[in-house]
Amino acid sequence: MLSRIAESLFWLARYIERAEGTSRILDVNYHMLLEQSQQSYRPRWEPLLIMAGEEDRFRKLYDEVNGANVFEFLAFREDNPSSIVQCVAKARENARTIRDRISREMWEDINGLYHMAIRYIPEEEIAAGPHRFCDKIKFGAHRFHGVTDATLPHDEGWEFLRIGRALERAEMTARLVDVQYHNLLDGPPAENALDNHQWMAVLRSVGAYEAYHRQYHPPIEPEKVAEMLILHSQHPHSIRFSATDVQSGLRAVSGSGRGSYANEAERLAGRLVERLNYDRIGEIFHQGLHGYLDDLLRICGLIGEDIARTYFYYAVVA
Amino acid sequence: MHPIEIFVDAPGKAGCYSGGMCATSVGMANMGLFEGYDTGGFYDEMFLSPGHPRPHYAKLFHRLAAMAPAQFEERRKLADLSFLIQGITFTVYSDGRGTERLFPFDLVPRIIPSSEWARVDRGLSQRVIALNLFLQDVYGQQSIFRDKRIPRSLVYSCPAFRREVVGVEVPRGIHTHICGIDLVRDSKTGEFCVLEDNVRTPSGVSYVLENRLVMTRTLPDAFQAYEVLPVNHYPAELSRILRSLSPRGEGNAQIVLLTPGIYNSAYFEHSFLAQQMGIELVEGRDLIVDGGIVYMKTIRGLTRVDVIYRRVDDEFLDSLTFRPDSILGVPGLMGAYRAGNVALANAVGNGVADDKAIYAYVPDFIRYYLGEEPILRSVETYICARPEDLAYVLDHLKELVVKAVGESGGYGMLIGPASDSAKIEAFRERIQANPRNYIAQPVISLSRVPAYDETEGCVAGRHVDLRPYCLYDGEKVTIVPGGLTRVALTKGSLVVNSSQGGGSKDTWVLRGDE
Repeated sequence: MLSRIAESLFWLARYIERAEGTSRILDVNYHMLLEQSQQSYRPRWEPLLIMAGEEDRFRKLYDEVNGANVFEFLAFREDNPSSIVQCVAKARENARTIRDRISREMWEDINGLYHMAIRYIPEEEIAAGPHRFCDKIKFGAHRFHGVTDATLPHDEGWEFLRIGRALERAEMTARLVDVQYHNLLDGPPAENALDNHQWMAVLRSVGAYEAYHRQYHPPIEPEKVAEMLILHSQHPHSIRFSATDVQSGLRAVSGSGRGSYANEAERLAGRLVERLNYDRIGEIFHQGLHGYLDDLLRICGLIGEDIARTYFYYAVVA
Repeated sequence: MHPIEIFVDAPGKAGCYSGGMCATSVGMANMGLFEGYDTGGFYDEMFLSPGHPRPHYAKLFHRLAAMAPAQFEERRKLADLSFLIQGITFTVYSDGRGTERLFPFDLVPRIIPSSEWARVDRGLSQRVIALNLFLQDVYGQQSIFRDKRIPRSLVYSCPAFRREVVGVEVPRGIHTHICGIDLVRDSKTGEFCVLEDNVRTPSGVSYVLENRLVMTRTLPDAFQAYEVLPVNHYPAELSRILRSLSPRGEGNAQIVLLTPGIYNSAYFEHSFLAQQMGIELVEGRDLIVDGGIVYMKTIRGLTRVDVIYRRVDDEFLDSLTFRPDSILGVPGLMGAYRAGNVALANAVGNGVADDKAIYAYVPDFIRYYLGEEPILRSVETYICARPEDLAYVLDHLKELVVKAVGESGGYGMLIGPASDSAKIEAFRERIQANPRNYIAQPVISLSRVPAYDETEGCVAGRHVDLRPYCLYDGEKVTIVPGGLTRVALTKGSLVVNSSQGGGSKDTWVLRGDE
């Protein structure tokens, strides 16, 4: 497989995942924050911008941080490279460069998603609220994964899609947990009911609300939410689950067996998985959640870099 | 979920892709879409006179005439949607951003009876073989100069002549693996004549294949009424020819298609053909030359490449040999080519054979190399590099079409009868400043075929040309029956290029004559 094709598959999956993740976070938090604002509690939109890593850019474009502006910025702005529509456009651009290598169904699906996404009129959606837009994107992403699994041979190309998606998802979840905790620690002393509300939103934004209730008993406790999102072995949005997926994908490409590694990305992924397998949530809180998540994000970054070094880039021959 | 649902769901533009409820008046019961059709004094391929179709169009005429305009409109929109979802688009750069546009597809097919096609097929084969022999000669023995059948200076002054490949022997002696030869029909007799040769990197064949697919899905009943020769063997035949060029033998030949990338207007075609042939689609940055061998960069290291079907123009192929600022090609590629370690299709330097001034000599090539009379007529051409032709052209600018020899896509053209005197005078100066750069031809009123006019909600006569695709394996020429019919959808327009408002039609060559 050409290196460029592997790279495009990797980024195609990352952008789809980013579009989906941003849609989920925006949808859930927007409605939660609106409810809060009716209770004379100033809603805090900033965390959404921090999660997207685009706070500075937002401040350059807007005077006021409010729901409509945040929604427009995160969903539609052409000059926000992380906006949902831009992520879908980049995913589709990557798919276009390799359309001869993906299935016709995959191409038509992502192309259809793109044409749908660019046809939304921001003013109308802002008036309607983000739910219908975000829901379409979310299910568009799900459908793309379904079409992919059903029509693309599960060869090394499929593995690069899987690695890209899992790596992006691990990072999205880590940022989500980090920002929400940060928000709670920094925020005004809130009533318990509100915090509870906020943690429900966190769970909902990764589709883990029902699963949480099967595993734990009410009330919703922040530490248990963190445990679920970081350490759960089976929930597909937990960092542990995603890291394991990254490791399996890397091993499938290189053919490495258990306990061995073929490159730095595999070594780092292996170490990350072991850590998540054996760490306890109490220990994590003891050593500091923010520092822990920061370290996870750093390692995910390094894994991405080494995948590029190993599989995508060729040194210039002198 | 079927893609259509997506579009109907999208708020804001909802309904813009749903079925047509076009407010067209339903005409006389038996004419339908053809109500008020006027052949306008042109050679109309469908009608002998209004309401009287030629025999091979009769079945189509009756089916379309029986169709309510709203029903036709609905099918047409389904076809458009199908092209959009498949991403069968080309890129235009007029707005500086590169916008994807649909290449408009006209639903009324063009029909060519078997006996007419047989002559075209023979004529094209003859022409392709002569062009290949000319290229072999120009870059080899150069006997045609010694025999004074064409001035050496005219050939050497072609912008597309490549000194760098003089003396390079190409695999199996093939220069013109893929040719697209543009044909038009005489406005009185309907005879097919050659307007232009394209032997560099002709594009459009993917539309031939996709148009057929969409057509059979959209108007299956009309299609089934005829016995239409298939077109979908093109990729297999091209693949066979490419494989035969491999310097390491056919067994383990690694074949790639080299594209300039997604911003190229023909990118869809590049990916389509690569996928159909099951070969790798590569960009220049995917390849590297080391020790005179071309490799591609894979996740498992370097893999040797044997044959490159390149869709990158000569001057961008290798920054060490041609344009040093090119990033689309592969540095060192020409070295590997000269050493015979990699085959290129089409060969480098082919542009000398489709130069618009050289075009005038192709009938002589046929006589000189094959000892035959040309089967297909060429359009009378004045070469401004010849003093007597130049004088005639400057005297008759108002009646002629003047073309810059190096331009394509309908640019750099003067259509005398349609231009005001200011434009003509401006062109006169350009011709006088650089006569070698221009040729002139009489205005050809292209034949017409009915096409759907969206604004009027009915079918009207529109000018067409035809680009058949010819594949040459060194022995015989294989031509996909029909080819790409391009149609000038704008009323009265003669320009069929997609960049200037042209569309395309499915072209049916029949097994018989009706």
